[in-house]
Amino acid sequence: MTLPTDVSAAPMLRLDQLSRRRAGRPAVQSLSLSLPRGQVLGLLGVNGAGKSTTLSMVAGALRPDSGSIRLNGADFLEQPELARQLIGWLPERAPLWPELTVSEHLDAHGHLRGLRGAALKQARTAIIERLELQPLARRLAGVLSQGQRQRLGLACALLHRPALLVLDEPANALDPVQVAALRTLIREQAAAGTAVILSTHLLAEVTAVCDRVAILHDGTLRHDGHVHSDDHAALERTFFEIAMNGQPQPARAA
Amino acid sequence: MSPFAVTRLEWRRLLVRPLAWVLAALTLAWLAWNFTLMLGSFLSSQIQRAAQPDGPGFIDLVGVPLLGQLAQLAFLVVPLITMSVIAGERRNGTLPLLFAAGVPASRIVLGKYLAVLGWLLLWLALTLAMPLALMHTTHFDWGKLAAATLGLALMLATLGAIGVACSAFASHPAIAASAALVIALALWSVNLGAQMAGMNGGAINWLAMSSHLQPLLRGLVSTTDIVWFALLIVLALALATRRLAADKERN
Repeated sequence: MTLPTDVSAAPMLRLDQLSRRRAGRPAVQSLSLSLPRGQVLGLLGVNGAGKSTTLSMVAGALRPDSGSIRLNGADFLEQPELARQLIGWLPERAPLWPELTVSEHLDAHGHLRGLRGAALKQARTAIIERLELQPLARRLAGVLSQGQRQRLGLACALLHRPALLVLDEPANALDPVQVAALRTLIREQAAAGTAVILSTHLLAEVTAVCDRVAILHDGTLRHDGHVHSDDHAALERTFFEIAMNGQPQPARAA
Repeated sequence: MSPFAVTRLEWRRLLVRPLAWVLAALTLAWLAWNFTLMLGSFLSSQIQRAAQPDGPGFIDLVGVPLLGQLAQLAFLVVPLITMSVIAGERRNGTLPLLFAAGVPASRIVLGKYLAVLGWLLLWLALTLAMPLALMHTTHFDWGKLAAATLGLALMLATLGAIGVACSAFASHPAIAASAALVIALALWSVNLGAQMAGMNGGAINWLAMSSHLQPLLRGLVSTTDIVWFALLIVLALALATRRLAADKERN
């Protein structure tokens, strides 16, 4: 895919001093981080840490009060239309139009993302097959179970092959088999060069699929580091230290 | 993005909602029944009217009154059709999806408005089909019918824009419908007091929708009336756009 702004050296996503107030209090404060192509970043934090607000701003659904978001080197706040091609977003509870079928949802998202005709048909068929939505294709979204809704939301986010995938609690309501399939899917996307940012409450989710983890607390970034699948205990300790004390404790001497 | 992606989405949602079909079926059945009664009355008085060559014809006695009834029904139907267009999206949580697809607030509002307008014009066309079905059997005053149709189209377009604006401001579709109904009725009757006091001119009469629709129903097309409707449509859609843009800011 040709990206709208071809600054190949630029990270896919760069947040710089991003801040946003919600309900009269700072939800995200001076958040800076970057995400290269092909990397999966896990966003961890307790409820109210600012994860969903951050992802809403990255997805283009919410404007930050201050700071900048650069997508593939371009100023996203100046060019919000970049979201159309570059970003696929699955919000926390996949929002759907209850009166439309699964297939109609994919068509609507395709049209909104600029897909038409044969390209839309091809993309729809591929994503329906990949997420095994064939039996649900003609079913109304209003009668889907929570897990099925989540899968449809994921299909809508992936339909146009975004360069940046933003997933907010994607494993919500999925059964263990579907969670495993989701992990495989996320790794596939990363292997294909897609930058993935996902928020989750599940530490196991982070160690299973993420290359990097960022921990938010009270709207600020408290930890940003690489994840190794065998250091679940270390991640758990860091997370709880931040959740309890607001910051990771210095490493103890052996 | 196709410029009509939002229109297409909204049109699809309108077509699959039972409310739109039920409203269309009930109102068209009501209008057809009234058309039949008015036609019967027209036919039974044909002999007396034959003595007055310049007297009222089919369009005066059947066509325009039918459109007048459509105008009355529009006060109730349009708020019900428009109530969910944006308030429903807000309740479903789907509005951020449109923002996240890079669709500007103005295009969301315009797209939804065009879908509603399409439905309303189809409703008008089906109503017009009743008198038009008799075009070869009686004398038609095409000019008067065209002016009345233009008036109705402008009125429906204005009520549609008001409905979309109310839907943009309301958190619940029922509140949007109630607000649109109240605003439409207020716009229609804002000059009633002035007229009862014998004032037939002035700003208060200019504000009233009835002052601009009635000349068109009588076959008088004036630029002032058309501009009045156009201004109201633009104002309502601009307010809706402003509100949606603020929604994105506030979320």
